[in-house]
Amino acid sequence: MQLMLVDDEKRFLSTTSKLLAQKGLKVFTANSGEAALDILKQVNIPVVILDVKMPGMDGIATLKEIKRRFPLIEVIMLTGHGTMESAVEGLKSGATDYLAKPVNIDVLISKAKEAFEKTRRLEEKILMAQSIYERRKAVYMRSPKNGLKAI
Amino acid sequence: MESEQRYGKLRKMVLVSMILVPLIPFFLTVGIGYYYFTSALEKRTISSTSRIVDDHRHMIEFFLQERKADLEFILRSYDFDYLAQHENLLKVFERLQIKSNAFVDLGVFNQEGVHVVYQGPFKLSGRIYKDEDWFSAVMKKGVYISDIFLGFRRVPHFVIALAKQEGPIKWVIRATIDTYMFNDLVKKVRIETTGEAYLLNKEGILQTERRSGGNILDEDRDFKKYLTKDSEIMTFIRKDYLGVDYFFATTWLKDKEWLLVVRQETKDAFRALRQAGALILMITLVGSGSIIGMAFFLTNRILDRIIKTDTEKDHLEEQLIRASRLAELGEMAAGFAHEINNPLQIIRSEHALVNMILLELTDKGKINAPEEMAELHDSINQIGLQVQRCSEITHSILKFGRKTEATPTDVDLREFIPTVIQMIAGKAGVNGVNIQIDIADDTPPVHGDSGQFQQVLINLLNNALDAIFEKHGVRGGELMITSGPDGKNMVHVSVKDNGCGISNEDQKKIFSPFYTTKPIGKGTGLGLSVCYGIINAMGGSMEVTSEKGIGTTFIVRIPVSVNK
Repeated sequence: MQLMLVDDEKRFLSTTSKLLAQKGLKVFTANSGEAALDILKQVNIPVVILDVKMPGMDGIATLKEIKRRFPLIEVIMLTGHGTMESAVEGLKSGATDYLAKPVNIDVLISKAKEAFEKTRRLEEKILMAQSIYERRKAVYMRSPKNGLKAI
Repeated sequence: MESEQRYGKLRKMVLVSMILVPLIPFFLTVGIGYYYFTSALEKRTISSTSRIVDDHRHMIEFFLQERKADLEFILRSYDFDYLAQHENLLKVFERLQIKSNAFVDLGVFNQEGVHVVYQGPFKLSGRIYKDEDWFSAVMKKGVYISDIFLGFRRVPHFVIALAKQEGPIKWVIRATIDTYMFNDLVKKVRIETTGEAYLLNKEGILQTERRSGGNILDEDRDFKKYLTKDSEIMTFIRKDYLGVDYFFATTWLKDKEWLLVVRQETKDAFRALRQAGALILMITLVGSGSIIGMAFFLTNRILDRIIKTDTEKDHLEEQLIRASRLAELGEMAAGFAHEINNPLQIIRSEHALVNMILLELTDKGKINAPEEMAELHDSINQIGLQVQRCSEITHSILKFGRKTEATPTDVDLREFIPTVIQMIAGKAGVNGVNIQIDIADDTPPVHGDSGQFQQVLINLLNNALDAIFEKHGVRGGELMITSGPDGKNMVHVSVKDNGCGISNEDQKKIFSPFYTTKPIGKGTGLGLSVCYGIINAMGGSMEVTSEKGIGTTFIVRIPVSVNK
């Protein structure tokens, strides 16, 4: 399971990625929205945990951009500001879930896993649909997890 | 002290304006009215007295002319020889008396002044009048009306004498006029109580009696003060020699140098004037009194209203300042809490990492110091707990500072309050608290976010239970919740406990954020601040009354729903 942490606090990124790696997750980190988008262009990452408040491109703008370019990626918003407004805005813009800082690492992992499950289920549904309508053709599709694959 | 002075000044200013503004036109009106009214009255009195004098003068003049004409008629009708006969004179006199009983006697005089014949009550025949003033005057002028004099008979009287030239001889006929009758004729004018009329000769000797004192032939001591001008009527006010003010009207008779005087005591003549004056004075006094009384009354009312409004204004300003300070504090705290959450997140992650590494090391048997490890774990757990505590605090602050979008609905307190009480009923039961609920049937619905309002009520109820527990332990607690209409547009909800109470000092700060009397770790000091903010946003107010050791009452007032 792969995920990406996006936050402007470098120490948070390094410590949390160590913890998550310890739990068997493959973690990418980015300290800004722009950096995160760059990484996503190169690597397939199904789950992104995104800080709302960042200098430069903030969390909500980054979320919208990710959803525009990679609609299948699940994004979990993380903020120091536990307000309903930013939660609602995030959810409206397509975020999967919402976490308030300081979040317990186990809660973070379980939310990430839920999101991961969601992408997996969606992928399966898409595959199923494709297999029904284009059964006889050899079709290649891009999967966020597996890349191009022959069916 | 300063405001007292200010109000004192204001009171004086309002009072003076309230008195002067109506009083000046009032006095002007009364004054002008008095002036015109009294001068009209005075003119009327003067003109009516002048008319009386004029009429009276004509009457006296007419009387004298008639008597003169009577004698002229005799003189023309008869000659000296005829009248010199006693019987003839008697006949003529009798006829004369039939015509006018004003004649007392009748006599005929020859050129030498000898009273040749006399018909009358006295014995005057044969007397010689050659040297008497009247005789020389009549011989010279032909007609003569005397002043009042005593003469030979030593009785005051006056005579009318006429002379006739018959060839070489000149003779005289003379009649005496009844003094009493003439006196009555002059005196009979009566004007109210003190009005009187009398005649004076040119020396100021009374020719008729004066009712108020003064016999015929007495001297009028005030004669020199009189204003006179031929037969014109003169009016004036003078004091007589006794010091009494009189209103006079005088005129000279046309045929005789007698001055007709009509006088009346001023206070009598101008009685109506004085009455009008008294009435106007009374009106002025009563009017001024009412104006001043009303001014005092209204000034007090106005001042009371101003003081009340000012107090309310000050109170409102105070509330406004407190509310804005709370809002500022809330925003500041929210920003602060947000910033704290980032380092807290790092601490929490570091804590998890340290914990994990330690567990790994222990598991792999790389650390062999079970006692120290136990201590270390305890310490690390403590870090976790304290981070959790910090997290709770920052979240409370954020909740307090955030501008949540409330979803207001109409809340029927008659159902809502019991439901909320049900939530704390368990805790109350455990603490042995007796709960009484008194919600008026006519409690109108309020408009607000029911979740927020529930938060407020639960906060108040929990605080009350904590206070009761502190004072009574688990026995003897009393909690009373009442609600009902408060005035026309408000509803009150009060929570009263018999707990430990709040000191006056604490009551002042009770709604400030982070202020708590609870032990460290038990309260954030934000509960009541949040409640205050919620109620404030609903357009209501919150207040507390408490006595240390007796109990506390929180009263929440909220506006009635407009959809009611």
